[in-house]
Amino acid sequence: MSCVLELKNISFVYGKGTPFEKRAVDNVSFKINKGEFIGVMGHTGSGKSTLMQMLNGLIRPSEGQVLLDGKDIWAEPKKIRSVRFKVGMVFQYPEYQLFEETVYKDIAFGPQNKGLEGDELDKAVREAADFTGLKPALLEKSPFDLSGGEKRRAAIAGVIAMDPEILVLDEPTAGLDPMGREVLLSQITRYHSERRNTVLLVSHTMEDIARVADRIIVMNKGKLAMLEPTAEVFRRGDELARYGLKVPQITKIMSELRKKGIDVPEGVLTVDDAFRALLPLLKKGGKLW
Amino acid sequence: MVRDVAFGQYFPGKSLVHRLDPRAKILMFIAYIVIIFCTFNYAALAITSAFTALFLILSEISPKFYFKSLKVIIFIVLFTSLLNLFYGSGDPIWQWWVFKITYNGIHRAVFVTVRIISLILASSCLTFTTSPTELTDAIERLMRPLKLIRFPVHEVAMMMSLALRFVPTLLEETDKIMQAQKARGADMESGNLFKRVKALIPVLIPLFVSAFRRAYDVATAMECRCYRGGAGRTRMKQIHMTRRDVISFIVLALVIGGVILCNIFVNWSI
Amino acid sequence: MSFISIRNVFFSYDEVEEGKVVQNAVDGVSLDIESGEFVAVIGHNGCGKSTLAKHLNAMLLPDSGSVMIDGDDTSVEEKTFDIREKVGLVLQNPDNQLVAGIVEEDVAFGPENLGVEPAEIRRRVDKALKAVDMYEYRGHAPHKLSGGQKQRVAIAGILAIQPQCIVLDEPTAMLDPSGREEVISTLLKLNRERKLTVVLITHFMDEAVLADRVVVMDGGKILTQGTPQEVFSQVELLKAHRLDVPQSADLAYRLRGCGLKIDKIPLTQEECVAMLEEAMR
Repeated sequence: MSCVLELKNISFVYGKGTPFEKRAVDNVSFKINKGEFIGVMGHTGSGKSTLMQMLNGLIRPSEGQVLLDGKDIWAEPKKIRSVRFKVGMVFQYPEYQLFEETVYKDIAFGPQNKGLEGDELDKAVREAADFTGLKPALLEKSPFDLSGGEKRRAAIAGVIAMDPEILVLDEPTAGLDPMGREVLLSQITRYHSERRNTVLLVSHTMEDIARVADRIIVMNKGKLAMLEPTAEVFRRGDELARYGLKVPQITKIMSELRKKGIDVPEGVLTVDDAFRALLPLLKKGGKLW
Repeated sequence: MVRDVAFGQYFPGKSLVHRLDPRAKILMFIAYIVIIFCTFNYAALAITSAFTALFLILSEISPKFYFKSLKVIIFIVLFTSLLNLFYGSGDPIWQWWVFKITYNGIHRAVFVTVRIISLILASSCLTFTTSPTELTDAIERLMRPLKLIRFPVHEVAMMMSLALRFVPTLLEETDKIMQAQKARGADMESGNLFKRVKALIPVLIPLFVSAFRRAYDVATAMECRCYRGGAGRTRMKQIHMTRRDVISFIVLALVIGGVILCNIFVNWSI
Repeated sequence: MSFISIRNVFFSYDEVEEGKVVQNAVDGVSLDIESGEFVAVIGHNGCGKSTLAKHLNAMLLPDSGSVMIDGDDTSVEEKTFDIREKVGLVLQNPDNQLVAGIVEEDVAFGPENLGVEPAEIRRRVDKALKAVDMYEYRGHAPHKLSGGQKQRVAIAGILAIQPQCIVLDEPTAMLDPSGREEVISTLLKLNRERKLTVVLITHFMDEAVLADRVVVMDGGKILTQGTPQEVFSQVELLKAHRLDVPQSADLAYRLRGCGLKIDKIPLTQEECVAMLEEAMR
């Protein structure tokens, strides 16, 4: 597998030289392969948002290098804008960024800045709208007339339309109800599996990350605490709790059972997995039909 | 970043300046502005500067924040002082092309610099030591006579205090929206003036939309908390004129007197 | 009579709301809430739960039907402010509820509007801030606080009015997990220790589980209600309406479908572990 993104000893210091000096990100290094789905977790203030904003050059690291396809993104600071098209960034509550007269024009803003025109632009907009489940009829509406969930999807489409190599989503499901969360998450997984692009998903909801991520980055106090395959991270539930993260209820239930000497696997993340693990045990005990 | 601005912030504290009646502070501030623009010689300037220094020290706020508030206006200061430096009257002591420096120009540059700096320091001192609520409360009380001519004093004061409350929130929001549009490839740093103004549209429209939404929310929240205009409202923090305020007025009166005397008796004027 | 008594309430929005005219946002709801109860209302966005919440303090008035608060009809105009003194409403976005530049001055806003004596306001503000554990932050500017802290200040702002009931419209939707926990444990404490009536509108099931009673809304109607135990045992019904259930309930429900004998659907981690342990023996 080829490495698409590499961070080499990245640090970021706020208010350098003032009494407020704070190391938001502290000597972080990692590599991400092309096509991976990475979950990013961390307590508020763990530095994960700052870290994400360094991936597309919105924040310049105080120390270290961000290598995109092997090239330092800050090699030519004047051309930093071109990095934004390669690393698409969806902020928290992205619906606040909508501004155009129609949804279509708003989604087209990013790809137009990138230089797309004509049919190419049209295709990019329509495909992005499709990925986020926006019906074509909505494209001619004003973005301010959409419902909350639709606004969110329009904003995400605006970033997807730039066809970035890497898509970073910061809490895309925040504030949505369970159904809205479910739908959006499945749209993101569909995008990932069809485009085969790299996706980084920042979320507080571990259940969501557990379902979609190949590997997980855990940040704690500005440092990289873990970068492991998903199951491995959740196997270390106690450690996650120490970083102020909330493990899914089902994971805790299964690890309690293990502690009581019942032979269930470690790092169970979903109700499905738990169900499948428990079924044979209960059958053996003759408790089921 | 925009939110680093110290100007207009409030730092809670218990210093002498903090404890002055906000009405007294506002009145003194107005008198002070008038007096610094009536200083026409160095003796008078020294008196007002000493007065400024006295208040800054008594405010017990770290000089760092005063420097920070000055940083914002450094270009205005440089620009106006240069303008004054080159456009003084009298015999030139140095000349190049259309630029000439005269003694009069130098004096004017010094005066204008000191005056602007004093103005900023004094207003910083006022906002640093007076909470927005105290400030608007005081303005409401000072403007109370205007009620006789049916001026909506309470409403204006309420709007001011809400505006002050939401300045930092909206600054943060501006920052956030700018980052989001930059992430979509918006180019805000290059191009001519027209292009730059146009590049602000993707920031300004969401900002307005969000400000309206907030205003609607705030109105709802205020109604939920039994707000029904100024009639029958009480205030938790009562403001009283005390001996502290009287002494401050006396000091200010001495300064004003001193400046007037200097203007009369010093035989030099800019 | 109950403290809150909602009888056959219908409500439609006149104006266009985000491109859609919302007909029957509340569609024939009757509900009683007793003094001292902790009631959670759950449902999708747009199910009418927020609209219903705004009926409880006369921010909205029913098109037909009635809402009685402590014996007073909300549609009687003279009673509006009495009702808002009895039922406080906390909204979703914590930023937009704080109206003053200093925490303690914000908390004082309510009692100031009521014309309470200054010394008494001071006492109430201090008490309210201590109740939500934000007393040390009384001199801070609201925009410097975390989401959970802001929301607790908003709660204190309502407490200072000394209501009998506090209604919260998705107060945790915009908060991170630790902020959510701060807010919920504050509410539990206020309910248990001060007998404050709490109506919590939420879409987080783990919060609803903590209530005395859960009301499920869908399409402007009450779908079902009862103790968390009763409500979350109806896994099928909830799933049919695409609502979440606690993972422990989901698991137990599926195991029961395979023949495992379960008397009581577990809602918490402890209950579920105990149940499974029992089953394994």
